[in-house]
Amino acid sequence: MTDPESKLTPLRKGLLEFLVLKIVGRESVYVPDILRRLAGTEFATQEGTLYPLLSKLRREDLVHYEWRESETGPPRKYYRLTAAGEAQLAVLDEYWTRINHTIAAIGR
Amino acid sequence: MKRVITASLNRNAYQFEEDAYARLEAWLAEASARLAGDPDRTEILADLEQAIADQCTQRLRPHQQVVTLEELQPALDHVGRVETPDVGAAAAPEAPASAGAAAPLKLEQISQGAWISGVCLGLARYSGLDPTLVRALAVVLLFITGGGMILLYAVMMLMIPFAPLDASLPAPGTLPTKCREATLYLRAKFATLTTG
Repeated sequence: MTDPESKLTPLRKGLLEFLVLKIVGRESVYVPDILRRLAGTEFATQEGTLYPLLSKLRREDLVHYEWRESETGPPRKYYRLTAAGEAQLAVLDEYWTRINHTIAAIGR
Repeated sequence: MKRVITASLNRNAYQFEEDAYARLEAWLAEASARLAGDPDRTEILADLEQAIADQCTQRLRPHQQVVTLEELQPALDHVGRVETPDVGAAAAPEAPASAGAAAPLKLEQISQGAWISGVCLGLARYSGLDPTLVRALAVVLLFITGGGMILLYAVMMLMIPFAPLDASLPAPGTLPTKCREATLYLRAKFATLTTG
């Protein structure tokens, strides 16, 4: 039998992007905020994963960032959704609800 | 007494003990290699440098000015290995580890389970021979060549790429880790020389 975990990893990897969009969509956040929101969940992640992902989302014009001064250190990047990001998130949310219904309806 | 190296992380100066500096440089070299092909590589590396700097600063005791391995290693563990999101080819180097036999064999050094740097282990995987046989051949060659094998090994160690570390296998031993870090450090140095 194959390890069930090996099937879950790609699923989690794909959903991480969705969750990051959801977190960024609620309020403008910087990376430690996002890490904190995900810590303790199945989607707990690290800067080494998050920065490349945020860069990709920015290239796809789904998020953008602005620099904000910090009292304790150098300026920080605060991320928020673009209009395209909002639209993408709405589509993903709707799709997620739909496949959850489908899964529940098919049952076992 | 230990030598201290000043390094700039995201354009701010930090002081590191020599061994911590070597570890950091190797980490950044690996991160840079993993981001090869990412259009935002420079920016991501700057973000990661800042994250490492923040993590180190948080761990410094009051009045401590020099970052040692004791602060750096947990900082690097916190930041975690660079994982690129699946954008076509960028994800390809990950595949061989999980896909196993289906992937074309690449000549790589395998740090996990290595005795020295993993050259013999890599040659064994590539050639399909038993690692013990390859190692035995290397020892025989060492005697026949009167030490010339050491030079050959060093050349292969510097040139053959390292296989990505597989999280599901035990971590490499002390010597393979040192070989890997030293090699990546030298390659990074060489890269800065050639690119000016």
